[in-house]
Amino acid sequence: MSLKDLISPFYVWQRAFEKPYTQKRPIEDRPGAPRYRGFHMNSEDCIGCGTCETICQNHAIDMVPVEGLEQRSGDSGLRPRFDYGRCCWCALCVDICTTRSLRMSNHYAWITEDPDAFHFTAGTDAMPWNQNSLGYRRDDDYHLLVHERIDMQALGAEESVAGFDEVMKGYTEEQAVLEADRCVECGICVATCPAHMAIPDYIRAVRQRDYEAGLRLLYETNPFSSTCGRICTHRCETVCVMGYQGDPIAIRWLKRAIVDRVPAERYREILGDEVVENGRKVGVIGAGPGGMSAAYYLRRQGYAVTVYESQARAGGMLRYGVPSYRLPDDQLDKDLEYIRSLGVEVKFNTHIGRDVPFRQLIEDYDALFLAVGLNQPSALRIQGEEHPRVLSGLQVLDDVASGRDPGVGSKVAVIGGGNVAMDAARVSRRLGADVTVLYRRRIEDMPADPEEIHESQAEGCKLVQQAIPVEIKNAASTSQVTIVWGEAEMIADDKGGRPRPVLQEDRMHEETYDCIIAAIGQGGQLDFIPAEYRDRIEFKWNKFVPGEYQQTGLPKLFVGGDIANSRADAISAIEDGHHAARGIHRFLTGTLDG
Amino acid sequence: MHTVDEILDFAIEREQQAADFYSNLAERANSAWMKEMLLGFSKEEMRHKGKLKSVKLGDRLLNADQHVQDLKIADYLVDVEPAEDISLQDALIVAMKREKAAYRLYSDMARAIDDPELKTMFLGLAQEEAKHKLYFEVQYDDQIMRDN
Repeated sequence: MSLKDLISPFYVWQRAFEKPYTQKRPIEDRPGAPRYRGFHMNSEDCIGCGTCETICQNHAIDMVPVEGLEQRSGDSGLRPRFDYGRCCWCALCVDICTTRSLRMSNHYAWITEDPDAFHFTAGTDAMPWNQNSLGYRRDDDYHLLVHERIDMQALGAEESVAGFDEVMKGYTEEQAVLEADRCVECGICVATCPAHMAIPDYIRAVRQRDYEAGLRLLYETNPFSSTCGRICTHRCETVCVMGYQGDPIAIRWLKRAIVDRVPAERYREILGDEVVENGRKVGVIGAGPGGMSAAYYLRRQGYAVTVYESQARAGGMLRYGVPSYRLPDDQLDKDLEYIRSLGVEVKFNTHIGRDVPFRQLIEDYDALFLAVGLNQPSALRIQGEEHPRVLSGLQVLDDVASGRDPGVGSKVAVIGGGNVAMDAARVSRRLGADVTVLYRRRIEDMPADPEEIHESQAEGCKLVQQAIPVEIKNAASTSQVTIVWGEAEMIADDKGGRPRPVLQEDRMHEETYDCIIAAIGQGGQLDFIPAEYRDRIEFKWNKFVPGEYQQTGLPKLFVGGDIANSRADAISAIEDGHHAARGIHRFLTGTLDG
Repeated sequence: MHTVDEILDFAIEREQQAADFYSNLAERANSAWMKEMLLGFSKEEMRHKGKLKSVKLGDRLLNADQHVQDLKIADYLVDVEPAEDISLQDALIVAMKREKAAYRLYSDMARAIDDPELKTMFLGLAQEEAKHKLYFEVQYDDQIMRDN
């Protein structure tokens, strides 16, 4: 061994007095780049659609319930939970986020001794990076989703007012597939649809051009799909996640796209409805959407169903209150005839109370479903209302649906802002009249469908808002009528309801018309129910208050439709009928208390 | 000269009369929901009566200066007769017009009197009636003029 070898270990010590070559704190935080893809952040705009979970290629995201967050219309109540053992930081979740609530911070260091800690629910769990203003955001001009709706061919305003042809022409197959392709299948819409239709599933059926599967899905919850494909109030679209950054999916039109491609003759074969009689019989009062929906689902369960209808044709307000340019008769008949083809008997021109006592129905049937709708127009109750040139909106629509001339003349004022008012106005335009709509509130407060309001304006109806009718007077000509109306100031409602109009007596107007069509609302008529029964039924204001499964205090009696719900639209009546059918089946099989 | 207690007794009696009016009408009504409705109106009047009784025992009326919104619906609707086949619409009109008449009565009495304590009492009662009228006008707006 050389001397050098012997003393070399001591050379090391001279290094002990030099500056270190290594960093003293190698893991000291260093800021990430401004657009670094760090830990996720989620804002309160998140509605839990789960599109981030769907697109994540590594299954690093699970949608989970969050304590204190309730499920509500348009919000699933779930939020994305991240597993950072799986996340590859690709940011697809951020790029696809429908509400742009999901972002990434530029924070990248998370040190803990707990190996299970790297799961967290973005936006909910308290994390140091939650308020981070830097990190990855989707660029404004970068879109993974198609935000523009595929337009549907429609008659122009001039063509439209020339007759009663259907305005909307339906999607071509290619258009329907393109529109269906925009859907992210989040299912947020399902909870908002009163009938809870399988919307993402039937949209997928459109995408796959599998209309038979689509029809089966529609009929699980809605036997009026041809009708609803045209005139549904489409509450589903109001919560569609695609509406946050663009147009909501045309869910209603896609429903129509299915039924338009399946001929009525093939319904039975496709739906496979086989009726096995069960020996029980159920009566239904009213052949509108509620009554016929109940009839359909009861018949499928094997009940002998008889429907009592006061009018000459089935359909209720769909027939007599919705003009053919929105819902052609043959399309309503397509739905109704299929229901009747299963053996549902309809007794037309039969008034309960007058032609058949209510007591007899209660005694003769194992159960009864009542859905008579709201068919009594509310009176204006202002001075001079009895003038012969004051017509009811419902009567005008009934006349037109029945092929009679309502005789509106050439200058018409319509009072009201609901669908009946809009349809009375549009029908009058088609009959050649100049039309002015007087509405007490503002256009944005109108209960009519926005499409109806827009189309009525496009067709030339003049909308006067904040106009309160106060008196009807004789005009110089007996074939005319004069209305006095005052301007309204809107005041906020303390309880968060619609703003309320208040008459300004110093701003009055007077105008003469050939007729005034009143369409301010409708009520029901239930005088046919004898006192011995009605005393056992709960009412609030002018409506039934049904219990579980639409059952009333009279155990055999189930109720639904406009006379028993606050929404007063076809899809809600259809759901009431379906729900009551389930209730009646439970009642008659002993699983629902009577 | 009337005392505050006498005025309150008068107002309490009026509320009782109103409650009786609706319950009598309910008995004669031939439709189920109208019976329910009118009995509800009667209960509402009894609630008002209860409130006035508690004022007599020391509770406070509405402040005479407190603003109660007047929707003026009762002003432009025609008078209707409370018949046996009365509808919801007409029942609401009857109710709002009765409350309006009561409001006017107390307002007129307040104007006609000099005693500041009694004037305040009448104005407070008028405000109470204005509030009751507003309740029926709001119901009319919501239930009858849904599409208007």
